[in-house]
Amino acid sequence: MFKKKVTVKILLLLIVSDMLETAVHFFFKKSTLSVSQGQVTDLSTAIVFLKAAFSSPFLWSGLLIVAVVFIIWSMILSKIDLSVAVPIASFSYILVPVVSIVFLHEQITALRWLGVLFVLVGVVLVSLSSKERTEQAK
Amino acid sequence: MKQGLLLVLSLIALTSLCDTINQLFLKSAIDSLNFTPTLNIIKIFKFIFQLIRKPRLWVGFGFSLISLCVWLVVLSKADLNFAFSADSMHYIFIALASWFVLKEKMSTWRWLGTGLIVVGIVFVSIS
Repeated sequence: MFKKKVTVKILLLLIVSDMLETAVHFFFKKSTLSVSQGQVTDLSTAIVFLKAAFSSPFLWSGLLIVAVVFIIWSMILSKIDLSVAVPIASFSYILVPVVSIVFLHEQITALRWLGVLFVLVGVVLVSLSSKERTEQAK
Repeated sequence: MKQGLLLVLSLIALTSLCDTINQLFLKSAIDSLNFTPTLNIIKIFKFIFQLIRKPRLWVGFGFSLISLCVWLVVLSKADLNFAFSADSMHYIFIALASWFVLKEKMSTWRWLGTGLIVVGIVFVSIS
């Protein structure tokens, strides 16, 4: 049985989980920016860096949101198929670069946007193909 | 700079690989329980309780923790927008692992999608 009906409520949940997912990556990046221990070059500097990163409130905020996203995502998947949910959720491939530009002042070239587009279409194709396979099996 | 890019890409490959191994352990733990999807909350909790007693699940979580640590090192070295796109490398690893390890059937569309992800990562990396 396929659960395909994307209601307004599910769409809202998807948008919220997308935004939270983007927030997770933003917080993780913020936590590494807040570490002033310098460059990671080998294992010992990596341990010093990770100790500092794990004591950053940004990291724990990110991990907390991971748990919330997991719960919302379970709610979404109990209502619609994964092959329907993933393409809609792939919106975060656009959202993360936008957040990177606005809040982290990163620069994105046209070629990079083109790459993002390829990845996005690829992810959508991969998730759609899982639906095709299950339908053939029926 | 070129050498730095190679290092960051290798580290991203490492997190993706750890993620894939985590997914394989998770999938194997779930499959071993013979669970049919249900909306019954009690059955779901019973299932989760059985699941967390599987050692395989915790091996997977261990890899997931390694993946997080490596990911943080990646973020300290690279732009977020680059790292996020390049991280979709795990789609490639999962495709290969599903094919080789789990012997799942891969459709043409799935190969095409995986190919596009590869092209996208190359573009994002050279820009």
